[in-house]
Amino acid sequence: MDNSSGNNIQQTAATSGQQNPADTGASGVRRKAVVIGGNRIPFARTGGAYARSSNQDMLTAALDGLVARFGLQDERIGEVAAGAVLKHSRDFNLTRESVLGSALSAETPAYDVQQACATGLETVVGLANKIKLGQIESGIAGGVDTASDAPIAVSEGLREVLLSVSRAKSLKEKLTAVSKLRPKDLAPDAPSTGEPRTGLSMGEHQALTTAHWEISREAQDELALASHRNLAAAYGRGFFDDLVTPYRGLSKDSNMRPDTTMEKLAKLSPVFGKNLGQGATMTAGNSTPLTDGASTVLLGSEDYARSRNLPILADVVDAEAGAVDFVHGKEGLLMAPVYAAPRLLARNGLTLEDFDFFEIHEAFAGTVLSTLAAWEDAGFCRTRLGLDKPFGKVDRSKLNVNGSSLAAGHPFAATGGRIVATLAKMLHEKGSGRGLISVCAAGGQGVVAILEAR
Amino acid sequence: MSSVRLPEIPSLSRLYLAAAGAAAKNRVTGGQRRLSLPAVRHEVHSVTVDVERLTQYQHLLHEPARDVLPSGFIHAVAFPVAMSVMTDEDFPLPLLGMIHLRNHVEHSRPIQFTEPLDIAAWPENLSGHRAGTQMDMVVEVSVGADLVWRGVSTYLAKGVYLPGIDSLRDEQDSRGDFAPPAPTAQWRLGLDTGRSYAAVSGDFNPIHLSGVAAKALGMRRSIAHGMYLASRVLATARPDGAEAFNWDIEFGAPVFLPGTVALSVKDRNERQEQWQGVDYVAWNPRSSRKHFSGSVTAM
Repeated sequence: MDNSSGNNIQQTAATSGQQNPADTGASGVRRKAVVIGGNRIPFARTGGAYARSSNQDMLTAALDGLVARFGLQDERIGEVAAGAVLKHSRDFNLTRESVLGSALSAETPAYDVQQACATGLETVVGLANKIKLGQIESGIAGGVDTASDAPIAVSEGLREVLLSVSRAKSLKEKLTAVSKLRPKDLAPDAPSTGEPRTGLSMGEHQALTTAHWEISREAQDELALASHRNLAAAYGRGFFDDLVTPYRGLSKDSNMRPDTTMEKLAKLSPVFGKNLGQGATMTAGNSTPLTDGASTVLLGSEDYARSRNLPILADVVDAEAGAVDFVHGKEGLLMAPVYAAPRLLARNGLTLEDFDFFEIHEAFAGTVLSTLAAWEDAGFCRTRLGLDKPFGKVDRSKLNVNGSSLAAGHPFAATGGRIVATLAKMLHEKGSGRGLISVCAAGGQGVVAILEAR
Repeated sequence: MSSVRLPEIPSLSRLYLAAAGAAAKNRVTGGQRRLSLPAVRHEVHSVTVDVERLTQYQHLLHEPARDVLPSGFIHAVAFPVAMSVMTDEDFPLPLLGMIHLRNHVEHSRPIQFTEPLDIAAWPENLSGHRAGTQMDMVVEVSVGADLVWRGVSTYLAKGVYLPGIDSLRDEQDSRGDFAPPAPTAQWRLGLDTGRSYAAVSGDFNPIHLSGVAAKALGMRRSIAHGMYLASRVLATARPDGAEAFNWDIEFGAPVFLPGTVALSVKDRNERQEQWQGVDYVAWNPRSSRKHFSGSVTAM
């Protein structure tokens, strides 16, 4: 499908309603892919409990917890897919190396995925599809990120000199190459959250979107407060007991502030969009901090789960990726899920009314609230989404009910696994209904997915 | 046997200095050696490990960075207590220049890094060796009433012959017979291997730190710590599922730094069986001299 222009988005959302995902695919009858459970390590603010831990350390720890929880010791899993957004080049085989260090069978294959903050959700989608096609019986999806142990590259100047030296044959050539080195070349090149094509950080991009949708400071702080309270309440009633394994002395997400208040949040100064004057509403309190952590999700066919007496929490029904043109200012950087969700729901014959839970990743409170505002806006839905009436209203009592990234933190690639495992458990506890997941990502991308209770 | 309760893990560098002082004093005074091991055990209670040091150790030795303690790490944590016994005035053998011959460890259950460890060390089995006199250092690590880790390290004081202790007749010298198997791994060990391991283990024995320091102590070049080799082979040979296991290592020719070590790790298992054990051997790929060999087996 070509969704590169607004025009095509309209056509897609309007015309794809007849297609049913339960239809048989080219290879025959599709079967279901189910979420069996999940495990993550608590998320830690950068420089905290996992300051010395690498991506491989944390992903291995999350895998080991999953193995212990579901008795997967020495088991050959169909495939493990995971990834990290900030990744050392030496970690090219991060997931496979983590599997080799874990208690899984060394005969378990693995591959790495990178789709910025949507990495974790995309690993779930990819493995669920393989299960539905009958290519694998079981899969472990996951993601990890560390901003503490971030890769730091040498400058472009130094890199060129080093490569020239290694190519040089004679001492004279080597010296000539080295003589091209300038003092500024010795400064390291640290990763940033800036968009390569705009030079704006993610926060600065979101600040523009937040201002465009006139999202108030108070509304953002309220969402942040709810996130902390919901997450703390979920920990309080033991909801995470079978979803989280302690690591390095940490047993709860270290960013969580159960006792924060509107007053405390109101005292924080804006950190993004400061040139917007009155429109400067985004603070450290209503934006996610840099975080370290890892998450995993165990997926399987129904047969796999039943034959091993494993729980079936939810079906992975369907998913859709989207992307927007933020480079030319047509749309906000983090708004791709706003477009992807209507297409996904239309294809499945569903509306927002048909959902019992909404898991909208809180990259920033402004992202969530801009998304909700756009879906309620008749003009936007007509011109941008090609819908003859507003896409709909998300019932706030169904939104991120056990907290989300503002409270838990957001180790980029680990967020998808956190959300899928959390939502699957919520659906299973309820015993019926559906949940919608929405994750925005750098590069103007996003992935949305539907889970259904079992 | 009498017990000496130390208030905390002693500083290894201070123990090395004390050992050097004792050696110098002995040379000057020609001091008399005792002919038996002191009947004493040194103990430290409620030792907790530093998680940052644990992580550094796990990264250096290529161990998955779990919350449970690697077996070699426990040896490193307990080693100063053993050293404390060996630097005791009544200890009959000179500590400096002692050669680590072998290790036998029984690791009975996973040990979380948060568990407080009670460590006790004492010497046993003073006996003859064709090249001098050997003895065992026994180290026991307990959590509460549970003995969780027990290690016996055998050391040789080369060239030290004590009256009344027969030196053994020539043991089989396997140097000539060793035919290396196909390697399963190759380690390239840099000059800094000794310094890096010293930083995480606290074992700053000068023969591992630099060529100059090693020459001063009669070595051609600096050599890798035996426990670096043991811990690293354990990290690769022990299957991740094995929770209770025994491991053994016998050291041969020292590994000079920098150097390359060829390694063969062989699983005793046929497929689909309960894990039984792994045998390993390491050698110099150029000279085919054996550096070390041993096994990890299910308990």
